[in-house]
Amino acid sequence: MGTIREVKSGKKSLKKDYVAIMMWFMGRAIQAAASVDRDVRKEFAELPDRFTFDLCVMPDGPHMIVGKDRKGYVRYMGWDTEGKRTNLRIKIKNLEAAILMFTFQESTALATARNRLVVDGEVPHACAAVRILDIVEVYLLPKIIAKLAVKRYPLWSPGRKYIGRVFVYLRTVLGL
Amino acid sequence: MFSPDRYEFFCPVKTNSGSRALEHLPFELDTMNATKPFVITSQKDARRGLVDVIIDAFKDSGVTIGIFDGAPAAPGMKLIKELFTMYRDGGYDSLIAVGGGAVVDTAKILNIAVSGAPEDIERYAGSDLITKPLKPLVLVPTLSGTGYESSRYACIDTLSFSSCFLMPHLVVIDPRMIVFEDVETTAAASLVTLTHAVEVYTGPEKNPLSDSYAYAAIRFVMENLVSVIRDPRDGKGRLALVNAHNAAGCAFSNSTPGMAHRLGKAVGDACQLSWGLCMGILLPHILERQTSEDGYHIPGLLLPLAGFDVYAETPEHMKVQKAIGILYDFQRDLFEASRGAIVRSLKDAEVPEEMLRDIARKAAGRSSTGFDADVSLMVLEQAWKGK
Repeated sequence: MGTIREVKSGKKSLKKDYVAIMMWFMGRAIQAAASVDRDVRKEFAELPDRFTFDLCVMPDGPHMIVGKDRKGYVRYMGWDTEGKRTNLRIKIKNLEAAILMFTFQESTALATARNRLVVDGEVPHACAAVRILDIVEVYLLPKIIAKLAVKRYPLWSPGRKYIGRVFVYLRTVLGL
Repeated sequence: MFSPDRYEFFCPVKTNSGSRALEHLPFELDTMNATKPFVITSQKDARRGLVDVIIDAFKDSGVTIGIFDGAPAAPGMKLIKELFTMYRDGGYDSLIAVGGGAVVDTAKILNIAVSGAPEDIERYAGSDLITKPLKPLVLVPTLSGTGYESSRYACIDTLSFSSCFLMPHLVVIDPRMIVFEDVETTAAASLVTLTHAVEVYTGPEKNPLSDSYAYAAIRFVMENLVSVIRDPRDGKGRLALVNAHNAAGCAFSNSTPGMAHRLGKAVGDACQLSWGLCMGILLPHILERQTSEDGYHIPGLLLPLAGFDVYAETPEHMKVQKAIGILYDFQRDLFEASRGAIVRSLKDAEVPEEMLRDIARKAAGRSSTGFDADVSLMVLEQAWKGK
């Protein structure tokens, strides 16, 4: 006859920190891309006024909150959900799934197909958010990595891609 | 496509298979309103590090788990009562069985107790006597399982249970848990799976839904078993085999055990051999016998056994012989891949010829599907000699 032992869930601090940093950078990059890229601007324009979405890892974060402010500008609103009303929440089911996504081993589309995401909100809005994430990843990542991260790598003119990339990076770093 | 006049099919099992599948466990438990699971496994699987993988999967989830890693090969009611006390005193609300065979039987029987009272267990022995859903049960299979784990069946001591409520709510098939054991265990487990799936696919209770599960199971075994025996490092093959076990278990739950299952079990019990080995030897001989009987659907079996091309190019009147021939070829391939460990006849398995009559009589006596002792003996004699 054996005995029972209770094990409390441990922590994966390093992985959690990595995902938090990636989400922080991605959030700022979305804000930057909304000023630089016409497609991102158009996607946000079609979303309701003061629309806010939260990309997060279950069960308790990290979070990336992005939305439109009162004047319609796209803003990265940080990782603290306290007091923020969100129209859409895209929840990654666990930290390992987030790691697969943020190390670009799995694209958002593949993660969705593998049932690693939960959408709390309207599906068309979630699709728009995923398209925005894809565009931003194309700006941020070299083609060889971005091809793994997005559903279909777009055929952009070199001007749009390279000049856009410089502006997106500059605005992301400076927080503009 | 075969369409019966009437059929029933029930499968409440959700399957989550593939890379990092275990990490979904906290989420899945949450959807079942379970917050504190009780993990049951064997010492052997714990020593192989499988419990550590489970613990790792729960990191960052905030969930506390209880682990019992002492499930024996032959659990008894005394153990169930002790586990019931541990479960109740620890405030657990769900069960996770890691492994195959006895571990899962223990979890299923314990689930009857914790969903009611330990006194309930003996009352529910039999068929379809459990009338209400039990606590959430998650199965994390290893390569030693046969698919029986996903099915509606369980047994302990001399008691047998059959109820759809015994089927696990969730089966998590994660490559990290599928460690190769040995040639005999792996082959025997998959031969049980193949036998169950073939008997569902060809049997009188065949229906379109059980066909889909059985088809997947047969294809997975036919495509992967020999390659896994040849090269145990074949991770994709091992994953496919465990998927086959699971699919066959779900199909088997919707069918009455067939002649190969019953005779194979009877030979195994009488001669202390693995059931899978005996079922694998008997299966083609039994199918040969059933070709002349009403109610069996042997020609269509060629499709899952050999694939579309062979099925399409084989004339209708030759499909039965072709299918049975493929099963004999499969026996030969297994024999060669295992360097003679997986034998092809009951004689090579060292079954005494003089025991066959007694085995046939016992198996026919237990059968609810109407095969008699003479037919059983005829099949056993053929299988004893081998092809």
